[in-house]
Amino acid sequence: MSVARMISLTVNGETLEATVEPRKLLADVLREDFGLTGTHVGCEHGVCGACTVLIDDQPARACLTYAIQMEGHEITTIEAVGGTDLSPLQRALHEEHGLQCGFCTPGIIMTFEAFLRDTPDPSEDDVRDVLSGNLCRCTGYQNIVAAVLKAARTIREERP
Amino acid sequence: MSEMEGFHYIGKPLARKEDKRLVTGRGRFVDDIVVPGALHACFVRSPHAHARILKISTEAACDLSGVIGVFTGEDLDRWTNRLRVAPPIEGLHPTEISTLPIDKVRFHGDPVAVVVAKDRYVAEDATELVDVEYELLPAIASLENALVGNAVLVDETLPSNLVSHQSFSAGNVDRRRKEAHTVVEASFYQHRQTHVPMETRGCVAVWDAGREHLTFHTGSQVVHPLRSQLAVRLGLSESQVAVISLDVGGGFGQKIALYREELTVAALARHLSRPVRWREDRSENLMAASHARENFCRTRASVTAEGRILGLELEITEDFGAYCFYPANYMSRVVAMILTGPYRIEDYAFDVKIALTNKCGNGPMRAPMSITSWVMDGTIDAVARQLGLDPVDVRRTNMIGTEDLPYRMPTGELLEDITPAETLRSVIDAVGYDAFRNRQRALRNEGRYIGLGLCTVVESTTYGSAFYKSTGIPGSGHEAAWVRIEPSGVVNASVGLGATGQGYETAMSQAVAEGLGVDPSCIRIHIGNTDVAPYGMGSRGARGGTAGGGSLYLCAQKARGHVLRIAAHELGLNSASDLRLLAGRVERLLNGVWSATGISLADIARTAYLDPTNLPDGVAPGLDFSLTYDPPPMTYSNSSHACEVEVDIRTGMLSISRYVVSEDCGTVINPIVVRGQQQGAIAMGLSGAMLEEVVYDENGQNLSATFADYLVATACELPNFEILHNHTPNKRTPAGIKGMAEGGVMGSIASLTNAVNDALAPFGVVANRQPLSPQYLRSLLRERM
Ligand code: FES
Ligand code: FES
Repeated sequence: MSVARMISLTVNGETLEATVEPRKLLADVLREDFGLTGTHVGCEHGVCGACTVLIDDQPARACLTYAIQMEGHEITTIEAVGGTDLSPLQRALHEEHGLQCGFCTPGIIMTFEAFLRDTPDPSEDDVRDVLSGNLCRCTGYQNIVAAVLKAARTIREERP
Repeated sequence: MSEMEGFHYIGKPLARKEDKRLVTGRGRFVDDIVVPGALHACFVRSPHAHARILKISTEAACDLSGVIGVFTGEDLDRWTNRLRVAPPIEGLHPTEISTLPIDKVRFHGDPVAVVVAKDRYVAEDATELVDVEYELLPAIASLENALVGNAVLVDETLPSNLVSHQSFSAGNVDRRRKEAHTVVEASFYQHRQTHVPMETRGCVAVWDAGREHLTFHTGSQVVHPLRSQLAVRLGLSESQVAVISLDVGGGFGQKIALYREELTVAALARHLSRPVRWREDRSENLMAASHARENFCRTRASVTAEGRILGLELEITEDFGAYCFYPANYMSRVVAMILTGPYRIEDYAFDVKIALTNKCGNGPMRAPMSITSWVMDGTIDAVARQLGLDPVDVRRTNMIGTEDLPYRMPTGELLEDITPAETLRSVIDAVGYDAFRNRQRALRNEGRYIGLGLCTVVESTTYGSAFYKSTGIPGSGHEAAWVRIEPSGVVNASVGLGATGQGYETAMSQAVAEGLGVDPSCIRIHIGNTDVAPYGMGSRGARGGTAGGGSLYLCAQKARGHVLRIAAHELGLNSASDLRLLAGRVERLLNGVWSATGISLADIARTAYLDPTNLPDGVAPGLDFSLTYDPPPMTYSNSSHACEVEVDIRTGMLSISRYVVSEDCGTVINPIVVRGQQQGAIAMGLSGAMLEEVVYDENGQNLSATFADYLVATACELPNFEILHNHTPNKRTPAGIKGMAEGGVMGSIASLTNAVNDALAPFGVVANRQPLSPQYLRSLLRERM
């Protein structure tokens, strides 16, 4: 154990400070120190994807990252997605019944917000391939895949 | 007009009300609930499968800064009552366990002590400083070793590791065997699995010392039964405990029992007069929460030359693990009771043995009876193989038809309103059975091996109180609901279910909407809080729809009757018989046409609450209704599954190319939710049958405590599921609901394995063990190629 120190992180565009030990995981700092409990912890060993956040716009596992390493980086969590309205992906998950218990959902949304930004016209296989980094015990994935493909269509249509 | 056609709100594909908070990260799962000043508990777990506890040294841990204390089985034994499982079931030995082990540990991961600290990280550090001296005992790590004559006892109060043994016989299976053209034997080994809810277990216990009251936040499928258990084990009254489950990240049967960790945390909060919380980590969840399955079945079918089954015998042995949180025969008994499922079999006998071993204790997991349909339809396939018959023909020869209903199974279970022949026909048509066989032949000539597996499931869904009574299992199958129309006319309603993702806030609002005559958007369902919900039996099996939806529907009908009586009075009518409520407005039948009366539910609510002197004589103020409902002893759904696979014979790789299911689950409250349950159940079955496996080595060391070792199917291993509907209502339940959500597990593990065996038929091998890993399939083929 080592001494806690004050860190300052940029989360969802805001600068937030916390006094944490160097070993404290980003997932725990987001949840416990910043009250951003939408980032879930499902395994703490990098497999389930529930803790996925964006670090400098790229999806990453908040359970495999120490918060202290994140100074100088921009972190985006589920709380920043959608604003007052839902994002096309959030809406599609709702319409296609892409969630049941919803525990895996924030991680899946963070993964695919980034994916759809970079891959506007994915195939079903592309989506399944990326989705294989997120475990969902409830849905059997079929409706999540359908929702991602639907969101991709919506985003393409809405693009100016 | 059948009941199913006359609905206004039941059967509508409404998108879920609960989604918005969940897709925006604003759900409230256990670990999201902030309780200021809460201490953190962390358990010290046994590294051994079986060992005596000689000494526990806690000084070093207690000295660590931030540690509040370290507590052991002796402490907990003073603060809690032991768990005794002793229902009056013949052949079942009573068991009793302390809250934490005192004399010995019984499996790798057994909690031996608990650390409480100000910080979760410190609590975990301190567990490493707790020094436990053990004396190793031989570990019982398999069924075979558990049942040998001089086996070491897992539970030293029992005469042997055989904790439960029942047998049964109807008709005369011995005679049928002698009369038979052939006796076909088959065996089935289902491996150990675990539930893997994505949210692990956890809890926050808040003891209010002034009020002497415990608030217990946890993810539970059964908040009221859990409250009863907590109260009994803590020596409190049920008025001193509230259980609250807001959002629950999956349960699948793992979140029913009161386990030792949660009870320990509650006892610590009371002892310390401080809030205490616990978040289980994934390796604890995989190793020590609850396991399931691991049973071995053998059947013997006495058949005619045409494949008609004259008699059937079943032997089940189940590896139950070390501790009984349920009566040990709880799961296997149901398998034995409903084995014959959709088939006409009169002469039937079973023998069910349950053994204790040094593994994590078993509990019901989504489809506790999951092996049933694999054993039955796998036996049918074995009959077809041995007699050289077509597996579809053997199914048809034995299947219960409409003309046979109601049909009393040899175990006494009554089947009514099921349609197995219809669902089977519908999947066979959908897959194009003859065309498949042609394709299969052609591909075999190219050295490719595809297979088609079929399975017809009769799923026991809703267990009424009569079922509990007849099986000696403590508990009841009834459910409770209340419906309150508030002064503004909006509706609050509640039921004793526990949501873990089934969309109750939506589907249950449709059940209320239908019974009352109000749009579901005006109805809010409140569940998961024992202070709010009526005492119900929670969510287990597939009882949500029939018991939960049924009781809300009936309660809402009761409310509607009352509302219309007031409306009739306002309209100056003697009777409400020509009135109805629809979309919150009272309508009157005039010359065969429903016409507006100008009276709304809000008008009536205003009168009932704020102007009660205008109510009819004898009608009390307010609009507050409650009701309990006890379903029939058992309701059944049915489904037929067809799975197409290809096996790469060089690598043993198995891939699923097509999956079709046709289901009859009665009246569907919300088709979106039901489809999601079908997909989820099939996925869980396939994942279990292909990939998942709890592995213990011969010393009882658990080798599968991470997601790198315990493999759960990802989006790449599962196909899309084609779902066909064959729903017909149940005549004896409210609105004709039958219930569903577990049959998909039963049908998928069976149809998948049957498909693999169909693919491998040219090699003369039979896969009779799961998981169907490449290594296992290769091991079968290696000798034959
Ligand atoms: S919690 Fe980070 S991947 Fe599972
Ligand atoms: S919706 Fe429950 S784990 Fe994905």
